[in-house]
Amino acid sequence: MTLLEALTQFAYECNHNDRLQAMNRDWTRRIQLDPDDTHLPHYIISDSGQLSVGAGAVDNPDLLITSSEEILTAVFSGQMTPTEPYNAGDLMVKGRQDDVMRLDILTLLIWGE
Amino acid sequence: MAQSTLSRVLPLRTAVSTSAGLASAAVNFLAAVEVAEYAGGQSAWLAILVAGILIVFAGANFSELNALFPSAAAIRVWIRRGINDRFSLVSSMVYMLTVVFVIAADAFVLGHTFSRAVPAIPALLWIFVLLALVTWSNSRGIKVAGTVQDSNAFVLLGTLILFSLIALGRTPDLGQFHYFDLGRHWFEAVALGIFIFVGFEWVTPLAEEFQDSRQIPRGMFIALGLIAIAFGLFSLALTVAFPHGHGLVHSFVPQLLVGMRALGPLGFWWMAFITLTTAMTTFNGGLLAASRFVYALARERALPVWFARLNRRLVPQNALMLLAACAFVLAVLVYRTGQYLLLINAGAGVESLMYALSSILVISLRRREPSRPRSFRVFGYPLAPGLVAVLFLGLGVEALLTPTGPSGFPGALVFFLGIVVVMTAYVLAVVPRLKKRRKGEQGVSTPR
Repeated sequence: MTLLEALTQFAYECNHNDRLQAMNRDWTRRIQLDPDDTHLPHYIISDSGQLSVGAGAVDNPDLLITSSEEILTAVFSGQMTPTEPYNAGDLMVKGRQDDVMRLDILTLLIWGE
Repeated sequence: MAQSTLSRVLPLRTAVSTSAGLASAAVNFLAAVEVAEYAGGQSAWLAILVAGILIVFAGANFSELNALFPSAAAIRVWIRRGINDRFSLVSSMVYMLTVVFVIAADAFVLGHTFSRAVPAIPALLWIFVLLALVTWSNSRGIKVAGTVQDSNAFVLLGTLILFSLIALGRTPDLGQFHYFDLGRHWFEAVALGIFIFVGFEWVTPLAEEFQDSRQIPRGMFIALGLIAIAFGLFSLALTVAFPHGHGLVHSFVPQLLVGMRALGPLGFWWMAFITLTTAMTTFNGGLLAASRFVYALARERALPVWFARLNRRLVPQNALMLLAACAFVLAVLVYRTGQYLLLINAGAGVESLMYALSSILVISLRRREPSRPRSFRVFGYPLAPGLVAVLFLGLGVEALLTPTGPSGFPGALVFFLGIVVVMTAYVLAVVPRLKKRRKGEQGVSTPR
């Protein structure tokens, strides 16, 4: 699975989950994923909770996530919780902690504990 | 790849106020009295200043570690990368427990302050109501505005500086005192002086919210200077205004006495108000940070998943409630027994040992990850961090060995060792089972 495929699946799960839609109706953010090995950025844009994803960078992101492409793919496909690489220093984030927490909760509610 | 510019970032002011605010707990007033007891009087200010200068070196360690891994997981990441995962878990858990100690100690001070200011209401009721209020607002996802949190730190330190100068100005014949006269227990005074600065480094988990991670060291160093000046002057005013300080030890409200000496009833009530806001921000910041830390540990299956359960406002409710309950029980025990020195000595000991560990981590990570970028490097490597490790190890042991009662029993040491043994047993015996169960579940992971 590629990172883009994982993100597409992640966005699909979010956009078809009523609970997440209600939870994120006030959440409009630009998130950029920077794989530090391939250097091919991807993005997630939340527009009032409706997610869109794609390859490329975004202007003035609210959240920057840096890790290897393998870890990013594993996190957004539910193979790994974000906390594991995060607490190991293998996944670094720049942005507001509220947004980091929100993203973690999204993965929790989609993929379970 | 060009560095992207974040849409929202925190200013240097917030780095200073967060560092100063987290260090400036209400229990610091009592710690200043204890430092004066051991320093033997008016040289307490010097013990606090020396402690502050030593902590600058620990601050340099935290700055390099933060520059290397600017993460909210902070020590969890640094120790894991610098030593190993198990040691990281034990240390992080013990370290986070100091947050509970500080909340309980602040509750003790708050209870005494308000039982003095409003004697009709029992102290334990004050503690319960205020702790419950902060817990409730946290569980509802209500956050204290950054500006309120910011301004409280500056108002507290400004008040201490101003009131101390006024109290000093009102003391006749200042030339009669011995400001440089070091008592027999001056080393203990410096060891306990460490407690005044405890928490200054807890600004590092905010690193992700700063575009330029060099703002964190700048903020920490400015905050250390402000704390040293404010609490140094406060201890000086205390020891000069009340040169026969035995009454201070038993009053539990030295800040009210200095307020009274400076501005009469207005100073008394202003100090009571400042104690209230300081304790509330300690409760709020402490519970917020600790509950998120517990949540993160549960998410990686180092704690039962029960702790990762969220309420409908996306707050880790179970973690929050348990921590608040622990802080309240500890506060009641301390209030009933009067053993607040146990918390101060244990807090000073744990922090000093953590500062020693920060030196070891700097040295270890220079070897393990030599090519990883660092926007800050400690000065005088490797000699300075090596000396700092030895020095803080000595200060930590000294703080833990300092008696917590007239019998000379080192209660803090026993308390600390007990916690370390329990945490180590938990990490060795329980965590592997939790992780194993997780791996078993991963094979059937499907979207919900």
